[in-house]
Amino acid sequence: MSDAGSQRLSRSWSREVAAAVLRRSGARIGLVWVTLLVVVATFAPFIANTHPLYMVVEGRASSPALANLQALDWVWLAGFVLGVLALLLKGKVWLRLAGWLAGVGIAAAVAYSSVSPPLLTVYEQYREMERDGRIETIVRAPIPYSAKDYLRDYGDTGMEPPVAGNERHHWFGTEENGADVASRMIHAARIALGIGFIATGIALLIGTLIGGLMGYFSGVIDIIGMRLVEIFEAIPTLFLLLTFVAFFGRSIYMMMVIIGITSWSGYARYVRAEFLKLREQDFVQAAVACGLPLPSILFRHMLPNGMAPLLVAASFGVASAILAEATLSFLGLGLVDDPSWGQLLNQAVQSSSFNWWLAVFPGGAIFCTVFAYNLIGEALRDAVDPHTQRRMDS
Amino acid sequence: MLNYLLRRTLLMIPTLFGITLVVFAVMAASPGGLTVSTLVDGMNLDPEGRQALEDYYNRRYGLDQPAPVQYLRWLNNISPIGFERQADGTLGGFSLWKGVDLGTSFRYGRPVTALIAERLPITLLLNLLSIPLVYGAAIAIGVQAARSHGGRFDVASNLVLLALWSVPTMLAGVLFIGFFASEQYWRWFPTGGVGRREALDQTWLPWFAGFSDVLLLMAAVALVLGVLVWAAVRAPDAVRCPVFLLLGALLGYGMAADLQGLVPGILHVVLAVIGATLLAGIARLPGTALRLALVVPLAIGVGTGLARWAGAEFIQGGYLLDRVWHLVLPVIALSYGGLAFLAKLTRTSLLENLAADYARTARAKGVDEETVLWRHVFRNSLLPLITVSATLLPSLLAGSVIVESIFSINGMGKLAVEAVQMRDRELVLSITLVSGLLTLAGYLLADIAYAMADPRVSYE
Repeated sequence: MSDAGSQRLSRSWSREVAAAVLRRSGARIGLVWVTLLVVVATFAPFIANTHPLYMVVEGRASSPALANLQALDWVWLAGFVLGVLALLLKGKVWLRLAGWLAGVGIAAAVAYSSVSPPLLTVYEQYREMERDGRIETIVRAPIPYSAKDYLRDYGDTGMEPPVAGNERHHWFGTEENGADVASRMIHAARIALGIGFIATGIALLIGTLIGGLMGYFSGVIDIIGMRLVEIFEAIPTLFLLLTFVAFFGRSIYMMMVIIGITSWSGYARYVRAEFLKLREQDFVQAAVACGLPLPSILFRHMLPNGMAPLLVAASFGVASAILAEATLSFLGLGLVDDPSWGQLLNQAVQSSSFNWWLAVFPGGAIFCTVFAYNLIGEALRDAVDPHTQRRMDS
Repeated sequence: MLNYLLRRTLLMIPTLFGITLVVFAVMAASPGGLTVSTLVDGMNLDPEGRQALEDYYNRRYGLDQPAPVQYLRWLNNISPIGFERQADGTLGGFSLWKGVDLGTSFRYGRPVTALIAERLPITLLLNLLSIPLVYGAAIAIGVQAARSHGGRFDVASNLVLLALWSVPTMLAGVLFIGFFASEQYWRWFPTGGVGRREALDQTWLPWFAGFSDVLLLMAAVALVLGVLVWAAVRAPDAVRCPVFLLLGALLGYGMAADLQGLVPGILHVVLAVIGATLLAGIARLPGTALRLALVVPLAIGVGTGLARWAGAEFIQGGYLLDRVWHLVLPVIALSYGGLAFLAKLTRTSLLENLAADYARTARAKGVDEETVLWRHVFRNSLLPLITVSATLLPSLLAGSVIVESIFSINGMGKLAVEAVQMRDRELVLSITLVSGLLTLAGYLLADIAYAMADPRVSYE
């Protein structure tokens, strides 16, 4: 009985919080920006791609853009569709979340085992075909350049300011290797979003586990755990990150794990404080007296009641994870060939010249994303903080 | 208190031990591990020579031993109590006073102690300049925002501060360098470093061509300062706003003229509008102190510019001016983020205390709002500021990694990046140790300050 009751109560509370968050215009702006990013990241291959969306060559119609989709592209698309479905369906939040995760997992398994795009991509072929007049009909992506299309067939490419007034048309200019900045930024949105969510997820997981154990058992475990937290807090995070990245390669998954590992200490502190408070309460004592297993007490009974500060911290955490990736890329320790906002920003100040378009656009994207998450986090904090109401009344 | 201090200092040792262990484990467990290959890579050697050189370095730095042994040796070297180290690398007898040896950097071939002694003061200078700036400005803005709670300034400052907090340091640094230091735009500031080589041989203070130049400079600065301070402090709103608006438009126009000549173009209009908006914003700020704090540096800058334009000549800028000139942009880039965070914190904490029962009691006694704020609430509201001061230092240290690499300042941050890139075991561990020590010292100082500010807290 108590389970059903608390479930209903907690849902209405979470509804209330969601409504309170949505009432704030700052949070709404932030959510709109993040949604926009998700859409752009999902449909990146259809927005910025050298492969035409549709073309007819010598009477044969084809869609090179679809044929060249990577497994990861399919996973993003599947994740997006499933996400929309999960939002529309009714049901418990955690059930929908679990369903979404399972769906994405299955989609990833299917995609990686079945999709095999051509290994070698020759971006120049379409431009050559067009020059030769062999293409009868062509529908290009709005930005007809891929992120890694360095326009080698033109020969004279390099840094080029936006809309430089030659045959090519780059809205945001080009970077040092000649690739289109707008296209790279669109594809980099994936990295920013992925790093933000997965790194924060990993940090949350570690932090909740360690913090929960510390808060529940206290005593010796607490002392040891707090030393661990202190150790990770006393090493400047950026320095630890630098060390990790410099010594362990530069794959995106590695970076997610590394950012996760280096930023769990704050969450552990929050969870510990909440659990120290909660474990004295009657419902926890009752759960213990019922002889429930430890994981059930910790994660089914205590954690949902200590979620609020964790959620607030997590939404600021996403912002700082994105910032961390951008910083690493900026310092030249990021991904090598893959596009990233920080890496573009790094090219803005070269030895003697200042390329404003490489500072303003990628830097602006980082700023807007971080700002959006901070706005959401702040609205969330105000919504779950009982003091705010009092302060507003007084 | 002494007891507490001693205990805390002793507790630092296991934490420092843990920090270096984590960093060492990361280095040792990585693919590739601890090698000197980065030292050898650049050289043009035949395979045998390369192998021989690598062997030599491995033996010299003890890299041929297993990782745990390497760590233990390093621990032995840095602890003042332990086995003495002989010249040939073997361990000698046990000693209680053998001194601390941080080892030799692979990359530089110099003692790490010397490297750190060279670099640390620069980073500390940056941070020690930033901290008072951050605190002063944050408290001023936070108090003003709390005072006009729910008002226009409160809402606007809240949004602006959150935005400032979200601006990545590297974006700010790149924009500063790009627009205010590069050849293409305004060359007001140097692009990097903390000082010019020549400035070391110059006098401490600026040296003018003649007495008339000094007079001219002082007159120009005094004139601008006088007008602006009067406008900021005494003038009614109806006068202040137009004065600042005009000045902003003029400054914006002047900046555009600097780039594209006096003939008006789009840039002139845009910059004039931006300048006018900014200065009109300053003029409308509530609180004289805030306006004054923004107006005085502006007036000094404009006055100096005016004097230079009118023909006042420095023969030498002098050491002090050169340093200040180099440090303006890095210090701003380092401090605005912390400033935004702390100002928001000050506001929240003040609001919480202003709504507290003791503040209401004071008001009920008939104490006026100013006295309630400054005598009753203010001191109590500082407590969270002291608490976060412990985390401010680590974040500033991290920030200086970015700022130093953007502004090419040879401080600890840049050394750290170079060290991890070169896989320089000794240097990485020592930098970890030093920054960990600084951070823990910051925590300790914050706790002591907390006890001093709040008589309820005692560590007896």
